[in-house]
Amino acid sequence: MGLKIAIVGCGKIADAHVEEIAKISTARLVAVCDLEPIMAEQLAMRYQVPHWYSDVQAMLDAEKPDVVHITTPPQSHLALTRQAVAAGCHVFIEKPVALRHCDVEAIIQTAVDSGKKLSVNYWPNFEAPALELRRLYQAGVLGRPVHVESFYGYNLAGEYGTAFRRDPDHWVHRLPGKLFQNVLDHALNKITPFLLDEHPVIQAVAYSADSADSSGKLLDELRVTICGAEASAFVTFSSHARPIEHSLRVYGTRNTARVDFTARTLVLDRQQGFPSALGRLFPPFLTAKDYLRQGFRNVSLFSHARFHFFDGMRTLLNEFYRSIESDSPPPIDYGEILRVSSMMERIFEQVYPEVFA
Amino acid sequence: MKVLVTGAGGFLGVHVVERLLAHGYTDIRCLLRERSKGDRLLEIAATYPGARVELCFGNLRSKADCARATAEVSLIFHLAAGLKGSAAELFADSVVASRNLLESLPGRDGFPAAQTRIVLVSSFGVYGVANLGRGAHVDEQTPLEPHPELRDPYSQSKLRQEQLFWDFQRAMGFELVVLRPGVIYGPGGGAFSNRVGLQIGPVFFHLGGSNLLPLAYVANCAEAIVVAGGHHDSAGQAYNVHDDDLPTAAQYLRAYKRRVKRLRTLRLPYFMTRSLAGLLEGYHRRSQGQLPAIITRYKAATSWGGNAFSNAKLRSIGWRQLVPTGDAMEQTFAALREQDQPR
Repeated sequence: MGLKIAIVGCGKIADAHVEEIAKISTARLVAVCDLEPIMAEQLAMRYQVPHWYSDVQAMLDAEKPDVVHITTPPQSHLALTRQAVAAGCHVFIEKPVALRHCDVEAIIQTAVDSGKKLSVNYWPNFEAPALELRRLYQAGVLGRPVHVESFYGYNLAGEYGTAFRRDPDHWVHRLPGKLFQNVLDHALNKITPFLLDEHPVIQAVAYSADSADSSGKLLDELRVTICGAEASAFVTFSSHARPIEHSLRVYGTRNTARVDFTARTLVLDRQQGFPSALGRLFPPFLTAKDYLRQGFRNVSLFSHARFHFFDGMRTLLNEFYRSIESDSPPPIDYGEILRVSSMMERIFEQVYPEVFA
Repeated sequence: MKVLVTGAGGFLGVHVVERLLAHGYTDIRCLLRERSKGDRLLEIAATYPGARVELCFGNLRSKADCARATAEVSLIFHLAAGLKGSAAELFADSVVASRNLLESLPGRDGFPAAQTRIVLVSSFGVYGVANLGRGAHVDEQTPLEPHPELRDPYSQSKLRQEQLFWDFQRAMGFELVVLRPGVIYGPGGGAFSNRVGLQIGPVFFHLGGSNLLPLAYVANCAEAIVVAGGHHDSAGQAYNVHDDDLPTAAQYLRAYKRRVKRLRTLRLPYFMTRSLAGLLEGYHRRSQGQLPAIITRYKAATSWGGNAFSNAKLRSIGWRQLVPTGDAMEQTFAALREQDQPR
């Protein structure tokens, strides 16, 4: 029969959850729920979900799901986590986890106290090149990380960007960290595996570069410097740089790795052993060889139908569901989730001091 | 009598306000989301000095904005709808917004819901034509889509919106008039409906062939909405809206290439479109959605199956085409040509 899954929150991102759950043979989606019945109904209609609800408790009582996916705006995540856990459910939460760091702590504590498992949709970290990076790091190929650069490009003219720019009441505008808070998890969660400090030094600067926004109120460019005891990081969030890039560069004491999350490639910049001019001659060919290998790997993934946009989410969900069935640790360490949330809060304190005063 | 036009700042909305003024309506409240779109309405209003055109800025997703918009109104032209974006947004902008609007009707002092008339702009997309067969005649008696789950999100949201209005009409007793336009076109609108074909990469796949194109020039469509909205016998009725002398998809495309710009096109006969749709659908299913099923056999039958249309019912209540199709296409192509010029 497998795990019974339910989704709370039937906005745009819920589509991705429904589609990825459907690809997992050990799970089945039994119901969806939204405070707005029309939204719950439309999701159930489009994906032929057996039941839909507009009352979470009614759904929990009737369907008794094993796992609840929470895909509502983050304002409601703490209360919904408590409600789901009280009903005996494990919880999978869409990012951002909560409005404030203290709420993220409370969410995790709720899961720990009840013996239920929790994970967060940090799906890019479960894409093939990200998993390969993790393997290289653990195998010592990179050496000790010295510096990490995470670049996160955003498309204000895309579906998500257009939606919140068009609607002044959109929930993103009510986030204390505004636009940044909705997406910064994905920039920060890529560096936390390499920067383990609980309280690194953080400096953040944000500004508006949107010529269409005459009010200048929408801050859409962010630069962050993070200094830990053993490693540092730069985080760039850009709404205007083209092409839209999602990338990570990890500078290690042995080699440097470059991950392109858009093209799904990982290449290594290796230390050169060749003397003199030869050392300048070979690197492009070695890099080309890496790209060729990655290109063929992607073709192979495509031919095996493992090259979907949200393939990382499927891998993450598979690992999360497996951790529930085998009672093993969930795929994302709670400490990592807390470090991301803590960094976000400290960045927003500097960018929006009036909100966080 | 105060009239409300929702979506008044949109492509069709501006023309509806103009036709309302031309038909002698003198008290019009225009609901629009973007302030920048108010100027054009005020320009039109200035040509009718005896009329009062009030701009009301708001979003129908907000119940408070709905209450503000419908206060003291007894005739509503509901044009606002989601046209693009994710399925969730389309439903929020078309269906949730409509529900909010309808729920704001009861409880208005001196303006009972039952004495209100609502004119809903629905869509041809609500009809279930996939299984009718090629050449089938589509009129107001054609059944609504029985399989919304097989359609695109826009059609799904418009179908649910219309069903919502009929449900509320039965519960509240207001007068409901439904207009179902075909392809609304004109200056400021897009160049091609899917019924003509799809642009995929550098090639325009011409899929409509010799099918009739149910075009409704934006001014003619606006005239139809105002005529039906004001007709004493139209309550409880639905009307298909399209112009009289319809071109085929091939004629439209030829004229576009002649008048606007050259286009690299590839014409696919219907049987080939359906075969490709079947292949794509099969791959989509086997690969669990690795490539989107932008064309399925059901969608192909709906869009390119080829139907005959009739606007006889609309004509029976006095609608006449204001702008002949030849002139309408020329004006549209002139605007598209200008839009295509390098700035």
